[in-house]
Amino acid sequence: MSVDSIVNLSRAQFAMTALFHILWPILTISLSAFLFLVEAMWVRTRDVMYYRHARFWAKLLVLNFAVGVVSGIPMEFQFGTNWEGFSRYTGEFFGNILGFEGAMAFMLEAGFIGVMLYGWGRVPRGVHLFATAMVALGSSISAFWIMVANSWMQTPAGVTLTGGKLIVTDYVAAIFNPDMVWGVGHMWVAALETGAFVIAGISAFYLYRRRNPEFFLRSFKLALAALLVIAPLQIWLGDSSGGDVFRSQPAKGAAIEGFWHTNQPGEGAAWALLAWPNQAEQKNDWALELPNMLSVLGTHSLTGRVTGLADIPRANQPPMLPLLFYAFRAMAGIGFWFMLLAFWSAFVWRKTRGRLEAMLSHRALLLAWVFSIPLPYVAVEAGWIIREVGRQPWAVYGLLRTADSASNVPVTTISASIVMFLLFYLVLISTFFIFARKWLKQGPDLAATPPVFTALRPAQP
Amino acid sequence: MNATAPTTLIQIWFCLIGLMLVLYVVTDGFDLGIGILSLVTAEEKDRSMMMQTIGHVWDANETWLVVLGGALFGAFPIAYAMLLSQLYVPVMVMIGGLILRGASIEFRHPAHRRRWWDIGFGVGSVIAALSQGVILGRVITGLAPGAVSGAFTALTALGVGSGYALLGATYLIQKTSGHLEHTARKYAMASALTTVAAAILVSAGTMVLSPVAHSSWAQPRVFHILVLLGAVSALAFGWVLHATQRGGVQSPFRASVLLFVASFGGLALSLFPDLIPGKLSLVQAASSPSTLVFMLIGIGVLVPVMMGYNFYQYFVFRGKMEPQQH
Repeated sequence: MSVDSIVNLSRAQFAMTALFHILWPILTISLSAFLFLVEAMWVRTRDVMYYRHARFWAKLLVLNFAVGVVSGIPMEFQFGTNWEGFSRYTGEFFGNILGFEGAMAFMLEAGFIGVMLYGWGRVPRGVHLFATAMVALGSSISAFWIMVANSWMQTPAGVTLTGGKLIVTDYVAAIFNPDMVWGVGHMWVAALETGAFVIAGISAFYLYRRRNPEFFLRSFKLALAALLVIAPLQIWLGDSSGGDVFRSQPAKGAAIEGFWHTNQPGEGAAWALLAWPNQAEQKNDWALELPNMLSVLGTHSLTGRVTGLADIPRANQPPMLPLLFYAFRAMAGIGFWFMLLAFWSAFVWRKTRGRLEAMLSHRALLLAWVFSIPLPYVAVEAGWIIREVGRQPWAVYGLLRTADSASNVPVTTISASIVMFLLFYLVLISTFFIFARKWLKQGPDLAATPPVFTALRPAQP
Repeated sequence: MNATAPTTLIQIWFCLIGLMLVLYVVTDGFDLGIGILSLVTAEEKDRSMMMQTIGHVWDANETWLVVLGGALFGAFPIAYAMLLSQLYVPVMVMIGGLILRGASIEFRHPAHRRRWWDIGFGVGSVIAALSQGVILGRVITGLAPGAVSGAFTALTALGVGSGYALLGATYLIQKTSGHLEHTARKYAMASALTTVAAAILVSAGTMVLSPVAHSSWAQPRVFHILVLLGAVSALAFGWVLHATQRGGVQSPFRASVLLFVASFGGLALSLFPDLIPGKLSLVQAASSPSTLVFMLIGIGVLVPVMMGYNFYQYFVFRGKMEPQQH
């Protein structure tokens, strides 16, 4: 009983800190890449409008980065504080990868963000552009290593169990584990998609209000162009990682689809579009089904074999089935809506040839973009829930159970740290919105001129 | 297969982790020290200036802690697991302090009413510094329970707090001018005295409380190096006082760093070859040779690179700062 509640509390704390933290780096990754793009275009074309874009969006990056940094600190230490068993068991590989992330990525980002944010005029343009590139690169490498570590928890490879812990026998196999390419790709593209929707959505907000429309038409156009590639790419990546889930983690695949009984050879597996999975009775309370569809989705053939959840021992089934089932539908639905919105906008753009007045008259389209701003965040959270809750009851799939991973910390102590994090997060997110609103009201500085760097200038601001 | 890593490899990692810890303690030490001092600084204008001096570097400084955490996790997983789970409360309190400090310094900038952010910055820094001192004290006493080790831990907490204040004050001397620089010199003198007093008491306490330190001090070779480090610390202390009073701009900070490094070296030498004295040795805690080598390629090689671009960031913002207009 007590061990169960320790594990559950530590899981709750980890879920809360991870779900909160993930919100910020996904925008840092894409926004810093966007800032590099507009700054590079400014350096190339000398068009000062790009410089103003760089300065305007950087203010959002500062706010976002601040919350990302402070909410990231617990992530580095929680494996030790709350998951002692996990840390001892996996440290040789998992800890190594977290170390890589810190040294190759996190420090790169932190070491150049000072120059990027405060170094205008103190360094030559080329050096500033380089600093921006390093911040963007650092945040993306960071996502890479984190997803390497996480995908290894999904499909562990390249290790053998020796003396109660996993020793790496093959680094290539461990890093390039079966889930790695899909895990890294799907997450990184999700980050890019998030930033593109935030940039396009905020630009659409200004366009809708007819505030500085020429300025914001430019960022809208850039984000839209990126999304015409990103949105379909993400659907393909999602579909491919889904296929990977059915191969490598059949219990997760069956759980997110509410699929109970393995289909017979020659018969297709039916797909429940909507259902209410009932774990106690090992069936769906009700379901709206499409025949053969799950075989198509999971194996890309009409009668491909899909393992049903009832054919997996109860002790190896993931918990919280309705959450998994609907989180998946939310994520996939948002992904398709994004593609639709991007194509619809491209169609309007083509028809109006991107003329400002014509674009401004498409009020409903602009509003659709504004209201889509929260959706990439919902999709990322849903995806993370599917990934992590769907892997349960394993911490390292097939090797280490979550129940055997937790530190023996008193229940009241963990509860206290949960309350502490909750209070901090409430303050952080509300402060972020207060300042983001201020930034939104203030708008861009259309008179800003690039500072001139002269080597002889004294080092004062 | 159950090979123990060769001693040299383990020692290289011990030194690398030690180097990361020194880099963290010195760089974020002055950030946290400035936070501590901001609580006793009355003028909002001065606090504003104090935060401005670290605005562009605090994040990279704090990142040394994250790099340290990852490197410890990979190179000495058992130590990472044991230390963090046994020190759950001080570690969580430290994380809370760091969140409060970081959020306050970043959100103060765009805020109109700054008082609350100033308090958050100062209180967060104090909490983070004291909890780091508690962690140090718990490690030296080998996580021993009881009132005596509790008192010792309180002492290390105060020692770390005043040491950080000294680093912060001397960094301020480097970066500010006029009235604030004058105040910083007063802070530096006061915190140098408390730091040295705490360091002497902590050394004596370590000798008495830690059997590991006791036995390692009895070895003639170790003893001679310790005497040497003690002499360096004494000289550094004299240099801090002298440079601060004589109007040195960069020398007080350099002298404080020397004082810190010499004390830290003495401590590391006393506890070697244990990671948690009496509980866990380096060899027991270490990863297998292949992991240590792989990490040496991936991280060890990058340490000088990281130091390089961090130094570049300091170079870009070198010299004394002038107040920013808003």
